[in-house]
Amino acid sequence: MSTTATSKANISLGRMLLRSLAHRRARSFSALAALTVSAAVSTALLTLYNDLDAKLHHEFRSFGANVVVNSTSVAISPDEILQVQNIAGTNSLTAPIAYAIAETDRKTPVVVAGVDFATMQKLDNWWKVGTWPGQPDQVLLGQRAAGFIANEKEVTLTYAGKALTLHGTGRLSTGGDEDSRIYLPLATFENWIGVQPHVLEIQVPGGAGRVNAVLSQLQHDLPQLHAEPVRQLVAGESSIVDKTHALMYGAVLLIALTVAVSVLATLSASVLERRRDFALMKALGASQSQLFAHFLLEALVLATVGVVAGYLLGSGLAWAIGIANFGTATWPKLSILPLVLLLNLGIAACAALFPARVLRGLQPAALLKGE
Amino acid sequence: MKMVSEAQRQHAEAMLEGAAPVIELLGVSRVYPSRSGVVHALNDASFTIGASEWVAITGPSGSGKSTLVNLLGCLDTPTAGTLRIDGTEVHTMGGGDLDRFRADKVGFIFQQFHLIPYLSALENVMLAQYFHSMTNESDARAALDRVGLSHRAEHLPSELSGGEQQRVCIARALINDPPILLADEPTGNLDAANQRIVAEILAELHANGHTIVMVTHDPEMAALAQRKIALSHGKVFCHPVSNVVKLSQ
Repeated sequence: MSTTATSKANISLGRMLLRSLAHRRARSFSALAALTVSAAVSTALLTLYNDLDAKLHHEFRSFGANVVVNSTSVAISPDEILQVQNIAGTNSLTAPIAYAIAETDRKTPVVVAGVDFATMQKLDNWWKVGTWPGQPDQVLLGQRAAGFIANEKEVTLTYAGKALTLHGTGRLSTGGDEDSRIYLPLATFENWIGVQPHVLEIQVPGGAGRVNAVLSQLQHDLPQLHAEPVRQLVAGESSIVDKTHALMYGAVLLIALTVAVSVLATLSASVLERRRDFALMKALGASQSQLFAHFLLEALVLATVGVVAGYLLGSGLAWAIGIANFGTATWPKLSILPLVLLLNLGIAACAALFPARVLRGLQPAALLKGE
Repeated sequence: MKMVSEAQRQHAEAMLEGAAPVIELLGVSRVYPSRSGVVHALNDASFTIGASEWVAITGPSGSGKSTLVNLLGCLDTPTAGTLRIDGTEVHTMGGGDLDRFRADKVGFIFQQFHLIPYLSALENVMLAQYFHSMTNESDARAALDRVGLSHRAEHLPSELSGGEQQRVCIARALINDPPILLADEPTGNLDAANQRIVAEILAELHANGHTIVMVTHDPEMAALAQRKIALSHGKVFCHPVSNVVKLSQ
């Protein structure tokens, strides 16, 4: 600290405040650190909480379609597919699929499915696939279906007496029904079998509410089609999102409460250790409101600085957690700043005013005598 | 010890003779609740202190001196009785009015100086102006000059000796020109040399017409006052007027 003060003297609340904070560096830093941690934790949790829906829905989308549309009679027309895509929304994925039962070169019946591999690759990116087919004469063999084929490189299939030879690119393993099927390009399938798609697998972005809305719209606009949700996926997603929300909400409250107690203790100690300053100011004629204002302003200045630092730290923390857990960054959200500011100002105000109210009951003369 | 001039002594005596009481206590009591019932910190105290009078309040620890300082300094109000300061009935006043009244009427001098450590000597004096009304640097410098510390105005309390800190404390007490100076053991933390300096300043202030109420354990300091008010177990024993301005003798 400088050994002399400035030549132009002046006394103001702000000047006293800054001098006081600088004079009690360790205590000020301790209070500032507590408020910064409080703001950082609140920012990180609120940022993650806000982004949780999007993150979880994104995770669930990797499990494939959440709505299946069937044609109750004939194939689904291109116009109907377009309508379904419009209802499902721009961020949705719609995969038309046509099924038939053909015979392998070993004379074993097998389900063959005509699909658009580019769409399937996005829709079912959890499938374990060696190499996705890229040519019109390439097929993908299910793990079990491959056992019904004599030569995987030259796959000969027969449907209604029409033989077709295709080249296998690899095997598909899902642990489900897909393992018993052979997938070939939709155009190849249509040319060979003469059947158009009669199933649409759709991935609707958003939660259960959005899925139900799409289902209702489909049933209303296309009553000739039968649309239904993939129950396990939609219900499971809804339940997990709700439970994770509750968990996050509880964690935010619990951590905020813990940090608040710590801030309260630090700031309260800071106020109480200056009880003689309080008594002196009182003796010099300071009103109760002036004293409250002094302690309150000090706490609010610390809280504001703590929020700025905490917001930056917390946003960084949320970003890192997003990357580590979901593989995508959680970007800082300016919209939560007012809430974090309000929360920390509230904690700081309580921490400053509670001990100041306690000091009110003390005897200034006794304090100033050191009793 | 510095002599106070004969003219100053005569001026002080004259003021005392014709002075109206600046402090009046009539049946003043202060009772505090305790676990075992109530504690009578001050019991039925009645006395007056005239304008320009120098009074020493003495008594052992626990006799009620701090309670009396609280009441005379308007930091507390009595639970019974009438307390009149400078013609105003203080016992009826509320918090905000009492704060204002205290800032106007009482200047405090403390045993432990109680200077704000991060403010310079000048700023410590200006602090009293700040809580009173408006700050005025030249007035604050003049107050420091009055106690012989104009050359130390920019120094922090940690750079001042105990005696210098006490003189800053006196300058702070004087800055708003209050009618009453309330000194609580003003030399209790000082060595002999600084005790003399502070005693001389108080004597000079008294000679210039200030009313000084001084709580002290020190018989030498008490002897400087015109009158002693002794306290014991919350009871007041007033002594008659003693010789004026003992420093001059």
